[in-house]
Parts: sequence; structure tokens; C-alpha cells
Amino acid sequence: MNKLSILVVDDDPVIRHLLEQRLKKANYTVEVAEDGHIAEKLIQKNPYDIILTDLMMPGEIGGIEVIEIAKEKDNNIEVILITAHSSVDSAVEAMKKGAIDYLEKPINFDELFLRIEKIITVRSLLRNARDIYDAKDATEHAASETIQNLELIAAQLQQRLDVVENELRDEAKGPEARIENALNLIAGM
Amino acid sequence: MIKIKPVEIKTISQYIYDISGIHLDQNKTYLFETRLSSVAESLGCKSYEELHNKAKADRSKKIERQIIDAISTNETLFFRDKGPFELLQHKLLPEIIDARTPKSPTLKTSIKIWSAAASTGQELYSIAIIIKELIPDLSRFQIKLFGTDISDSAISQASYGKYNKFEIERGLARPQLQKYFTSMGEFWKIRDELRAMVTFRKMNLMLPFTGIGKFDIIFCRNVAIYFTLQDRKKLFNKIADCLADDGFLVIGSTESLTGVCPRFIPKRHLRSIFYQKK
Repeated sequence: MNKLSILVVDDDPVIRHLLEQRLKKANYTVEVAEDGHIAEKLIQKNPYDIILTDLMMPGEIGGIEVIEIAKEKDNNIEVILITAHSSVDSAVEAMKKGAIDYLEKPINFDELFLRIEKIITVRSLLRNARDIYDAKDATEHAASETIQNLELIAAQLQQRLDVVENELRDEAKGPEARIENALNLIAGM
Repeated sequence: MIKIKPVEIKTISQYIYDISGIHLDQNKTYLFETRLSSVAESLGCKSYEELHNKAKADRSKKIERQIIDAISTNETLFFRDKGPFELLQHKLLPEIIDARTPKSPTLKTSIKIWSAAASTGQELYSIAIIIKELIPDLSRFQIKLFGTDISDSAISQASYGKYNKFEIERGLARPQLQKYFTSMGEFWKIRDELRAMVTFRKMNLMLPFTGIGKFDIIFCRNVAIYFTLQDRKKLFNKIADCLADDGFLVIGSTESLTGVCPRFIPKRHLRSIFYQKK
């Protein structure tokens, strides 16, 4: 599997550095942004799998806005919000905007890694589901061509049978003439 | 998961057939267990026999509805299989519009389309999107889009028109998504202008079609496969009765009407097949 790429957005240099070190040690590709504006530029430029963002940051772009920017660019980017203990209401609002989860400060790294692993599991399930859908589509497509061709052939044959049947049932003619005509019709098909 | 006993399979499959017309293969034990175990457990039943008895005794039919919801397969894709929708856009709708446009310019063009196994509404809303794209100004038209399904919960989701991102991301392009849906966090809700074009109603295709009138186009895709041949014959015969003489029927791309309904003849348009009455 490709290495997961994570963007860390936090204006606190200590937390930012700590997250970067711990995530890199866990073998993820990590980039950092010190505020929402830098995060916006990075999100527009690079593809990320996960964004870890602080809720409260100086400037016009806070954590909620980072979620909106990320989701607008690619709905598959998952955002985990980092909040102070007192701002659970904002965290709920963030979840409504599409954040997948939130973590309270101080960050418990075991918890963080569990969340990330959960995201990886969901992503691989989704990829499997997509693969199965694609395989089903391919099979269905091949089957439908065969079935549709047979459907048209069956309908044509039925039409010919109807013509022959009509001829054989034509009481205005004698039996021999009917058979003769029917045979001619079959030969001409 | 509660295990099903062979004797229970017989009674439960007969019961499901009686309430829904869905014919389940009795060899597919896992199907009964994966679909019905949670219903049974939620009602505190220890066995499927107990579930069956409870369902039969329940006059409110709430358990019956839960069983139907659990057993019926809900399609979750918009524009599932491009073929039928391209067919609708390039062939069926233009022909029906031509045939139905009145000579007098003051009269409206009236068109009725039915999605017979509407599930959670994706097929009918896909049809609505195609109509909006084909006819930007609908003021001269009276378009009725009708969707039916046997599952109550499917019908209520369809009526509400709210889908999660997984139900939406396949099949719908981003511009279409933003044009016809409103974003609600992880969900998308169909816009009112499309919602206003459609009506959903619960209906069991095994029962007589009373009071639904005649349709110009009928979509009946991927539902008859769950019925016995005899029930399929009855179903398409009733469908023929409520299809306009010059109307169109679309079935699933891997389905066939050969030996099912001689009143229909198949016709090809590009890579798709549709049916008309003889």
C-alpha cells in the first residue's frame, strides 16, 4: 500500500513539531502548515489522504474552514480536528461539515494512531467495494451483450415462425399448396 | 447470527414469497441468515420460526415491513449502467416528446414515466436530471415521474432524497452533483425543483395495478429476476396493460423477455435494447 500522506495544521510550533515527529516515525509522509492560509495553498497544490487540523487558529481560516477547503477540493480527504477540551460543541459542528473525527488536547498519540488506522481500514474496504463493483460491471456488460443479441435473434425467429404458421393455417389454400409455400418461405429465410 | 434450520427455510421462504413475491433460492442458507438474523434478534426471537410466528401475529404489519426491508435489495447508484439513460436521452424522450406535443401551442406536452422498482430513488432522480438537461424550460410540459417499491424504508428515503457520499460518488459527475444537489456535510440532498417532479409510492408488483393509469415510458429493471417465471409472465402482462400503445419499456440489461411476454418486441438503439408493444 502507498504511504499515507498527512498534512498537519497547527499554529502552536510545539504541537506541530511533536505531531510531525511522531507521524514521521510511524512511517507516514508528513507536511506541516502553521496556519489556515498556508494550509489552503498546500491543499490546493498537493494531494493528501488525511488532514490533522487545530480548530482555533489566528487569521480568517480556522479548522472549520480547513475542512471546507479540503472537502471542496476532494471529498475523499479525511479531516481529523484537534480541539481544546472546552470546545466540544465546535467539534460537533466540524463533524457536520464532514470531519471524520476529533481529538481533544492534550493529544493522546495512541488514540491518534487508532483513528488513523480506522481511516485506513475504511479506505481499503471502500477500495474493495469499488473493485467488486467494477468487476460486476464488467461481467454484467459482457453478459448483457450476449443476452441482448440472443433476445433479438429469438424475436426474429419468432416472427419467421409466425409467418410460416400463418401460411400453414391459411384455409383458403389446399394442404399441398400451404406446405409448398411454407417450405419456400423457410428456404427463403 | 442465528442459524436457520432446513425446516425453517421452507416456511420462511414461503412466507417471504406470500408477502412480497420475492422468490428466494432455498439453497442459499446464508442469504436468509445475513438478511434476517438482525431482524429476529432485535425482536428478541431465538429462531426464525419464532420470527415467522411473531410476524404473522402482528396486526400492525410492522414486522412484515421490517422483513421486506431486510430482504429486498436496494440499488444505490445514480445512472446505474449508462446504456438505459443514453437510450432515454437520445431516443425514447425525443420520440415521446414528438408524439405528445399538441398542435395547439396553448396546450402542454404531457409525459408520464414510471420507475417500477424505484428502490431508494436513484433511478427516478437520474431520469429527472436527464429531463432537466434535455428540456431546460419545463413550462410547456407536464411531466409526471412516478416511482414505486415494495420497501417502506426505501420509499421514505427516496421521498426524502438524501444520499451519503458513497451512494452518490459513483455515477454522478461533480458539476451535476452541485447543480442538482445541496451539500449537507457528508450527505447530499436532491434540490426541490427535481424533488417536485417525482412522486413515490409503496407498491407490491405482485398485486393488481389499480389506479396508476397509462405510462409513456416504463423502467422495470432488475426486479423481475427475483420472481418465478410464472410471476414474471403476470408482471409483464400487467405492465403491457398500463403502457401506452406507442410507449417504451426498459428492462435490466441482463434481463430477457423471451418466453416471458409475447406482447413485447425488442428493438435495438445503439448498444441498448428497449421494448414496444406489438
